[in-house]
Amino acid sequence: MKGPAEQRKADRATPLEISGLTVSVNGGTRKFAVVEDVSLCVRPGEILGLVGESGSGKTVTCLAALGLLGSGWRTEGEIRLARTRITDRASAGQLSSVRGREAAMIFQDAGASLNPIQRIGKQLSETVARLRNVSRGEAQEIALDLLRRVEMPDPEERFHSYPFQLSGGQNQRVMIALALAGRPALLFADEPTTALDVTVQSQILGLIKSLRDETKMGVVFVTHDLGVVKEVCDTVAVMYAGRIVESGSVDRIMHAPRHPYTLGLIDSMPTLSGHIPEGIEGQVPAPGRRPPGCAFAPRCHRAEKKCRLQLPPGEQGDGSGSVACFFPLAGDLAQTERAEQPSHSRPADVAVPDALLVLNDAACDYATRRGMFRAVSGITLSLREGDSLAVIGESGSGKSTIGKLMLGIEPASAGTAVFDGRPVPVLGTADHVAFARSVQLVPQNPYLSLDPRATIGSQIEEPLEIHGIGTRHERRDRQRELLEAVGLSPDLATRYPHEISGGQCQRAVIARALALRPKVLVCDEATASLDVSVQARIIELLRELHRTHNLSIVFITHDLRLARSLCSHVAVMRSGQLVELGESAAMFEAPQHPYTVQLLASMPDVEATAPRFPETMKRPGS
Amino acid sequence: MIRKLLRTLFTLFLVVTFVFFVLRLTGDPVSAMMPDDTDPAILDELRKQWGLDRPLGVQYLEYWVNLFQGDFGNAYRDGRPALEIVAERIPATLKLTLTAFAFIVIAGFPLGIFAAVNRGTAIDRGIMTISVTGFSLPNFFLGILLIFLLSVTFRLLPAFGSDRWYNLIMPVITLGTAGAAVIARFVRSSMLEVLNAPFIRACRARGMTERAIIWTVALPNAAIPTITVMGFMVGTLIGGSIVTETVFAWPGIGRLLIDAVTARELAVVQTVVMMTAASMVFANLAVDLLYLVIDPRRRYASGTGEQ
Repeated sequence: MKGPAEQRKADRATPLEISGLTVSVNGGTRKFAVVEDVSLCVRPGEILGLVGESGSGKTVTCLAALGLLGSGWRTEGEIRLARTRITDRASAGQLSSVRGREAAMIFQDAGASLNPIQRIGKQLSETVARLRNVSRGEAQEIALDLLRRVEMPDPEERFHSYPFQLSGGQNQRVMIALALAGRPALLFADEPTTALDVTVQSQILGLIKSLRDETKMGVVFVTHDLGVVKEVCDTVAVMYAGRIVESGSVDRIMHAPRHPYTLGLIDSMPTLSGHIPEGIEGQVPAPGRRPPGCAFAPRCHRAEKKCRLQLPPGEQGDGSGSVACFFPLAGDLAQTERAEQPSHSRPADVAVPDALLVLNDAACDYATRRGMFRAVSGITLSLREGDSLAVIGESGSGKSTIGKLMLGIEPASAGTAVFDGRPVPVLGTADHVAFARSVQLVPQNPYLSLDPRATIGSQIEEPLEIHGIGTRHERRDRQRELLEAVGLSPDLATRYPHEISGGQCQRAVIARALALRPKVLVCDEATASLDVSVQARIIELLRELHRTHNLSIVFITHDLRLARSLCSHVAVMRSGQLVELGESAAMFEAPQHPYTVQLLASMPDVEATAPRFPETMKRPGS
Repeated sequence: MIRKLLRTLFTLFLVVTFVFFVLRLTGDPVSAMMPDDTDPAILDELRKQWGLDRPLGVQYLEYWVNLFQGDFGNAYRDGRPALEIVAERIPATLKLTLTAFAFIVIAGFPLGIFAAVNRGTAIDRGIMTISVTGFSLPNFFLGILLIFLLSVTFRLLPAFGSDRWYNLIMPVITLGTAGAAVIARFVRSSMLEVLNAPFIRACRARGMTERAIIWTVALPNAAIPTITVMGFMVGTLIGGSIVTETVFAWPGIGRLLIDAVTARELAVVQTVVMMTAASMVFANLAVDLLYLVIDPRRRYASGTGEQ
C-alpha cells in the first residue's frame, strides 16, 4: 500500500491536464493534423466523457497522452499526467515507467487485448510484480485480490483461465484489474463496453464508477454512446474533426447543449421513450480534408458565411465549460421539437391467420463437434404485411437464428416456418430462388457484404440479372430509382465500396435488397457498425421505406432503443427462448417478463434516468 | 488423437506400397548388377534365387509378412541385412540434418525477428534480400560454390571428410540456408502480425518495455504458426541431404540411397525410403502434438482439457 505522504501527493495532483494539444501524422508528403488545439483537464475522482463520431480524434488524444502513438506521429502542446510531462522527446524508458503507474488504459475489445496464450493470473501477477516491485508470491496474492475487486466470479478458479475461456465481460474485468495493478491516478477507457451486451455493460459501468469512488482515480471515458455518458460521466468534452467543440458538466451538456453538433448527437440517439432519432447529414471530414473555418459548418443548419471562413473561438464560459461556435444555441433542449413515436393501434397478437410470415413452434439445431446444439426452440411469432417487428436479445440469445429461419438459411428442426401460406424453402433448393425475391436480408457489415471489386451500381442490378428481370436498359433505370429511394446520388453507381462511407454503403446494401421488390426485409444488426448520427439516418430511411413501400421489416438488434424507435412490435429473446412478445409501446411502458425489465433497466438512455433531468424538460411520450 | 495416429500409419502404408511397385516396374536388379553379356540362363537363375520370378502380388505379400517379423530383406550383392546397411549410415545423416535444423532455427528466428522489429528500414530490406537470395540458390550450386571459395580459393576448409567438427560447416550451410531463409521470412510476417495485435498495444499501455514485449509476449505468439513450417522443413532437409551428401561425399543415408537406386538394391532402397517417410510422417505428428502443448486454445478446443 502507498505511504500516507505519497497518498496525499497523488490526491492533490491533477491526474491529467492537456493544453493546446495538436497531434499530426505524416501521410506521404504532407502532415495531417488529426487532433487540433485540444485542452482537457481531469480532476481526481472525475469521469470525463470524450464523445464524438468515429474519426473525431478521441482515441488518438488518449494514445498521445500515454505516448503510445508510434513513429510518424508528432505532438505539440502540453500533456501533463499526475507527475510527468509527456512529450515527443520522452525516452522509451521514461514512457514505460509512466504507463501503468500514472495512467493506464483499457480497450474496446478486451478479449483481443489480453495475451491469448498466457493464463490471466500469470498476466496479472507479472504486471503487479513489475509495477509494484514486489516478489512473485506477493504479486500472486495481490493479483488474486485485484480479481476480487473487479468482482470476477470464482476468482480463484478464473485465475488459471486463458482469455478465450472467459466471456467478453469477464475479459474486460481482467483488463480493468490489469489497469489497477499499478494504482494509476488516471484511467483511459476507450469504448470499454461497446462490444458488450447491455446487462454486462451496465455491470462494467457500475464497476468503473465504484472503483473511481474507492480509489479517487480520474477517468477519461471515450464513447460514442451519449446514454453511457449520461450514466457514468461527470463532465463531457464533445470532439468533432479533431477539436473540442463543446465541454461542460454532463447535466448542462445533456439538457442544454449549446453547440449544434452536440444537439445533433443527442437527437441522433434513439431513446426508450420512442424518440425518433434524427441524425446529422453528411460525414466527419477526414484529417487533411478538413475545411477552413468551423469543420462542422458543412453539416450545420445554423452555419453562415462567417462559419466557413473563420475558426470559432473556444469561448471559455464561467468555468462551466466552453463552446466553439459563432451562433451557439440558447441552451434549452425544450426548444427543439422532438418527434414522437406514433402509437400503434393494432393489439399485440400471437399467431394470426392472415400473417405473411409465421414461425410456429419453430426450433433450430446447429451441428457442432460436440453434437447438436439447439439454438432456438418453441418460437411462435407472426409478421403481418406492413408490420415492423424487432427481435431483441443479447449475444447468444438466438435472435439471428430467427432471422435465418425466416430467410430459409437454416431449416426449422421442429415446428414450421411459413411464408405466404407455404413453408419457407431452404437455401440451396430450387424453390428458394423464387422465395428469395420476397424476403431479403440486410446484414450488419455493409463493407463485408459488398463485393470490393464491383461498382455499387452493378451490385444493385445484380439481383435483377440473377432473376432475369427486365432488359439491360430497364435494369439501369431501376438501379437509378433504387439509388434515389435510399437517398444516394446516382453518381455513386460507378463508385466502388471502399470509395464511399459506411452509411452510404449500408444504403447501397438496402437498395440491393429492395431491387426485387421484396415483401419482407430482415435487417440483422443493420446499423450496429455505424456511427450514431449515421445510424439515425438509416433508421429514418427504413421507416420511410416501411411507410412508402408497404414493406414488412424484421429488425434484429441488441439495442432496445432502436427497437422502440423503429418497430411496432417487439420480440424479446433469451437463451433461445422467446420470453416476451407484444406491441412495442405497451411493452416498453409495462414490460411483463422480469428479463425484459432487466434489459430495459440496463439500457443507458439519454432520457430515461429522470432525476438527471429538470422537471421543465419536455420529455416525449411522458 | 487416435484418428491422427491411424492416418499416419495409413500414409506409411501408402508410401511403402508405392515404392515397392514403382521400383519393380522400372528396372530389374539382376540385369543392373550383372555385366551386359551375361548368359541369360544365369540371370534367370539369380532371379529365381532372389524370388524375383514370382508374381508381383506374391512378392508384395511376402514383403509385408517379413516386415512384420522385423526382416527388411537383404542386399543382393553381399547378402547383408538391409536394415544393418541403412542403420550404420544413420548417425552421419542425423548429425548433418540435426545440425542443419539447429542452424535454421538459430539463424532464421533472430533474422526474422530483427527484420520485423525494424520493419520498412534498410535492415529489414537487407535481411529480406538475403533471404530471397538464400532461398533461390539451388543446394548443389551453393555447395559447389562453398567448396570453390572456402576450399579451393582460400584453402580454409577441407572439401571432404566427416570426422572433424569443421567438416560440418559447409554441408550444414548448404543444407540449411534455404530453410533459414524460409523461416526468417515466415517469422518476420508472423511477428509483424502479432506486433499489430491489440494485446501488444495493451502491453505497451501498461508500461512493458519493448524488449520484454518482443521476447516474452510477441515471440511466443508468433512462434506458434512457424511450427507447421518447421515440420515441413524436416522433409525438405531429408530431401536436401541427398544432394548435399553427394556433393560433400558425406557417408550418410542420402548417398546410400543414390548408390542403392543405381544398383537396384531393392531392399536397401525400400528401407531408406521407409525410414525417410516414417521420419517425415512422425515429424508432422510431432508438430500436431507440439501445437497442443504450446497453444492452449487448441489444447482445450480438442476436448482433452477442462472447458
